[in-house]
Amino acid sequence: MVRLHRRQVLLGAIAGTLFAPVRATAQSKEPILIGVTGPLTGQYAQYGAQWKKGFDVALDEINAAGGINGRPLAYVFEDSQSDPRQTVTIARKYVADERIVVEVGDFSSAASMAASPIYQAAGLVQFGFSNSHPDFTKGGDFVWSNAVNQKDEMPLLADFVRDLGLKKVAILHLNNDWGRTAKDLLVAAIKERGGEVVGSEGYLADEKDFRSAIVRARSANPDSLALISYYPDGAQLTRQIRQAGITQPIIAGGSIYSPKFLELGGNEVNGVLTTVPFFPGDPRPQVQTFVKAFETKFKEEPDAYNARAYDTFILLAAVMRQFGIERKAIQQGLGKIKDVPSVVYGKVVFDTTTRRVADPFVSRVEVKGGKWTAYEGAKPAMR
Amino acid sequence: MTSSVVSWLGPWFDYTINGLVVGNIYALLAVGLALIYGVSHLINFAHGSIYMVGAYIGWLCITYLKTPPPLTLLAVVVGCGLLGMAIERIGLRPLQGSPRIAPLLSTIGIGLVLDQVVQLMFTPDPRGVPLQLPDWRIQIGGGTIGALDILIAGIGLASALALYLFLRFTKLGWAVRATALDRDAAQQCGVDVNKVNSLVFAIAAALGGVSGFLVGMYYNSIDPNMGFHAGLKGIVAQMIGGMGNVPGAIAGSLLLGLIESYGIAAFGTSYRNLFAFLVMIAILVLKPNGIFSRGRSLPPEPLTGTFIAPSAPVRIPWQVVAVLAVAALALPLVVRNGYVLQTLGIGWLYAVLAISLTLVAGTAGMISLGQAGLLAIGAYASGLLAINFKLPVATTILAAGFITAILGTLIIFPSFRLRGHYVTIATLGVGEIVMLVILNWDSLTHGPVGLTAIPPLSFFGGPLLSGTWIYEIALCALIVLALLQWRLLSSHLGRTLRAIRDDDVAARSYGIALDRYKSLAFGVAGFSAGIAGALMAHIFSYVNHETFTSQVSLLALTMVILGGLGNVSGAILGAVALVSLPELFRAAAEYRMLIYGIALLLLIRYRPQGLMGTV
Repeated sequence: MVRLHRRQVLLGAIAGTLFAPVRATAQSKEPILIGVTGPLTGQYAQYGAQWKKGFDVALDEINAAGGINGRPLAYVFEDSQSDPRQTVTIARKYVADERIVVEVGDFSSAASMAASPIYQAAGLVQFGFSNSHPDFTKGGDFVWSNAVNQKDEMPLLADFVRDLGLKKVAILHLNNDWGRTAKDLLVAAIKERGGEVVGSEGYLADEKDFRSAIVRARSANPDSLALISYYPDGAQLTRQIRQAGITQPIIAGGSIYSPKFLELGGNEVNGVLTTVPFFPGDPRPQVQTFVKAFETKFKEEPDAYNARAYDTFILLAAVMRQFGIERKAIQQGLGKIKDVPSVVYGKVVFDTTTRRVADPFVSRVEVKGGKWTAYEGAKPAMR
Repeated sequence: MTSSVVSWLGPWFDYTINGLVVGNIYALLAVGLALIYGVSHLINFAHGSIYMVGAYIGWLCITYLKTPPPLTLLAVVVGCGLLGMAIERIGLRPLQGSPRIAPLLSTIGIGLVLDQVVQLMFTPDPRGVPLQLPDWRIQIGGGTIGALDILIAGIGLASALALYLFLRFTKLGWAVRATALDRDAAQQCGVDVNKVNSLVFAIAAALGGVSGFLVGMYYNSIDPNMGFHAGLKGIVAQMIGGMGNVPGAIAGSLLLGLIESYGIAAFGTSYRNLFAFLVMIAILVLKPNGIFSRGRSLPPEPLTGTFIAPSAPVRIPWQVVAVLAVAALALPLVVRNGYVLQTLGIGWLYAVLAISLTLVAGTAGMISLGQAGLLAIGAYASGLLAINFKLPVATTILAAGFITAILGTLIIFPSFRLRGHYVTIATLGVGEIVMLVILNWDSLTHGPVGLTAIPPLSFFGGPLLSGTWIYEIALCALIVLALLQWRLLSSHLGRTLRAIRDDDVAARSYGIALDRYKSLAFGVAGFSAGIAGALMAHIFSYVNHETFTSQVSLLALTMVILGGLGNVSGAILGAVALVSLPELFRAAAEYRMLIYGIALLLLIRYRPQGLMGTV
C-alpha cells in the first residue's frame, strides 16, 4: 500500500506540473463511478432494493478507508425492471459515459445477456454478480462474474445429501434458466454419489400454489425433498409440504438463505437444511465486520443478496486500488487479482478462461427454533 | 390407505381436493370481475391491484393496529370499497362518451399506478401476514385442509348468495340489472346509472380486497406485484364460467383449479398453465358464452361499431411523412449519442410490433393481447435457423417473417369466430401458450435455458453492433413494413377489413369470406411481428421464455390504443412515445413507473380516441 501511495503522489506531482493545480484537486474529489443496472420497479424490484443495501454498506467501508487511493467510490443505479429492452439502452448510456469505469448487473439472464454484446464491443467490463447462467461469461472477455458457480455449489449440496444418509431424493425446482441448470447438475451429482433422484418438478416463478406438485413428488416415495428456489417460493413450498403432512427432511440450495425465509415460512420451516456460501454466524472476521456494519445501518440481518452485492463492491474496489481505474485496467486486473477477502468465498481468485471464481466457501446450516443456526452434524429427524 | 383401490385412487383424490382448494381462491377474484363485466362490459385489469391493496390493508391492520379478525375484514371491505368508488369516479366515469376501449386502457393504467404507490410506500419486499385463525387442520386423503380453506369457501359462497339476493330482490339490485341490460333505457326510466356503477365498483372492489387479504394470509406472503397474475387467473376463470355470469364465475374458478391440478397430475408441474389455457381456448371456441351460460341470455358483445368508435384521424400529407422519414434516416449524422440512437432503435422495433397489432386490432377489429407470442415465434425461428443451420442472418430474419405469418395465423385461426373481448382473452391465452410451449419443448428451444450466442446482424462478415446500425436497420425495416401496410390499407383489402370490423354480419351478407380476410390480416401482421422479433433476437443475442411475456403484449396494445386504432402513423408515434417516456423519467428512479402510469392516464383522459385518431 505504501508503494502505491508513493506512486500516486508522484503521479499527482507530474499532473500538477502539467495541468493547472485547480484541475488536479477537482479530479481528486470527483467520485469514481460504478454503473449498476437492476430492477427497482417491476416484479423483481425486491432484489434491486436488496442489492442497494449491500452496495451502501460496502461504499461506507471503502470510502472510510480512503476510497480508491484518495478518490471516493460511488455508484449510479439505473432501473431496468430486468427487461432486455431497457438493459440495452442503459448499456449504451453507460458505455458512452466516461465517468463509469465498470458495470454491475443485471438480475435476470434474459436482461443481462442482451446487453453483453454492447459492453463487450465497447470494452467496459460487465460484472454480473447474480448471473449463474452457464453461458453468461461466454459473452466475451469483458464479461465477468463472481456468482457462485452451480458446478461448484451443487456437488457440495449433494455431499450434504449423502452425508445425511439420504438415498431417494425428489427435487422441486424453479423452472427458469438458473433453476433448470442447477437441477441438472444436482441430479448428476447425487447419482455420482450413489443416490437416486426419484422425481423432479419444475414450477414457474409466479406460482404460489404447490399442492399438486407436492402430491406428484410424494407419489414417487422419496426419503427426502430437495428445493432449488429463491426464498419466497422456498418458504411457500416448505409450508405446503409440511401442511400436506409430509415429514421427510427438506434440503435446499443456498439461494433460499434469507431472514425473510423464516418470516414467510413460519413454524413450518424448522428443520430445513441448506448449504450457504454466506452465513452471518460464520466466525471469519470479514463476515463479522460486514454483518455488524449492516446491522448497524439497517437494523436487520443481511441475506445472501445483500452479501453478494457487498462482496462485489469490495472486490471491484480492490481491483481499482491495485490496477487503476481505466476500463481496460479493471478488465486485466480482474484476471490478475489474488486473495481478496470475501464473505462469499474463502479468497477470490478468478479463473481467467471462464472469468468466474472457483471454490465457494460453504457452511452447512439449518433452521432451528425459528433461527438460522450452524448445522451440528446430527442426522435429520423425521418431523 | 391400505386397500389397493384407495391407494390407486389416492393421489387422484388429492389432486381433486387440491384443485378445489385453489379454485376456491380464484373464485373470490372472479366474482368481482364478473360483476363489473356484467354491468359495465369492462374487463377490469385493475382488479388484481385492488386485490393487492386489500392484502396490504389487512397486513397493516394486523401488524400495526393489532385489530381482531372481524375488524380487519371490515377495514379491508371499507378501504377497498372506497378505492373501487374512487377508481370508477376518477378513472372511468369521465370516459363515458369515449370508445369502450378507452376504459380498458384506463384500468391498465390505474393498476400500474396502484402497484407503484404501494411499492413506494411499503418497499417491494414480500411480507408475512400472520394467520388470525385457529391453526387446526383436518386430514383429507393424503393432504390436509385448514380453517382458512373453509373460511375462503364460506366467504365465496356467502358473497355469491348475498349478491344473488341483492340483485334479485332489492330495488337497487334491479337498477343494477337494468343498467346491465340496457344502460340508456335504464337511464330513461330514471335509474341513476352513475350511482349504480359506483355501487358495483364498490362491491366488486371490496370482494377483490377481501380475497387479496385472505390469500395473503393463506400463503403468509404479500408483495406489491402479487396482483397481475392473480388478476389474469381471475379473468380466465370467469371466462370459463361465462363473462359477467356471477354463479358461473364460481363454477368456472373451481373448474380452472381442477383443470390445473389434473394437468399437473398428468403431465407435470410446468404444464399447469399450458393445460389451463388450452382448455380455456377450447371452451371459448366451442361455447363462447361460457359453459354455464343460459342459452343466449346476454348478447355476446355489442353488435356493431361500438367497441371501436370512429373518429376523424389526423391526416398527414404524404410529403410530410416522406420528409420525416428522410430526416429520421439522417438523424445519426447529427446525433452521435449511442444511448439516444439505441432508445430510438428499440422504439422503431416496437413500432414494427405496434403496426402489426394495429392492423389486426384497429383495422380488422380483433383486439389481440397475444402479440408477444408472435414476437417470440419470430425470435426463436430466426435464432434457431441461424444457430443450428448457420444460415446468414439476413435470410433467417426474412424466413422468420414467413414462419411467423403462417404459424401465427394457424394458432389464432380457431379464435376467428370470436368478437370483442372474447378475442382479447383468447389471444392472451395464445400468447401464454406460445411462451409455455417454448418453455416445455426442450429439445427444440432449450427450454428455460434459452438461446445463447445468437449471431448479430452482419455485413460481409463484419458484425453490425453499433447504436447507429441498430437504429438504421430497425428504421429501414419499419419503413418498408409500414409502406407495405399502408399500400394494403389503401387498397380494397383495407376497405374490406374495416367493413368486417364495423359490422361483420353486414360484411358477410355482402359476400365477404370473413375467415380469409382475417387470415390475410393476421398473416401480414404475423410477418411484421416475426421480423421485429427476429431483429430483437439478433440484437439481444440471448432470448428465453421470459423475453416476451404478456406484459410485452399489454405494452404493444397500449401503444396502439394511444396512437389511435388502425392508424399506422399513430402506432409508430405511440411506440416511440412509450419506449422513450420511461427513459425520459429515468432521473426519477423508483418513481419513474408511477410517473409513467399517471402520464398514461392523463393521455387516455384527454385523448381517448388516440393521439392520431382511429382510421
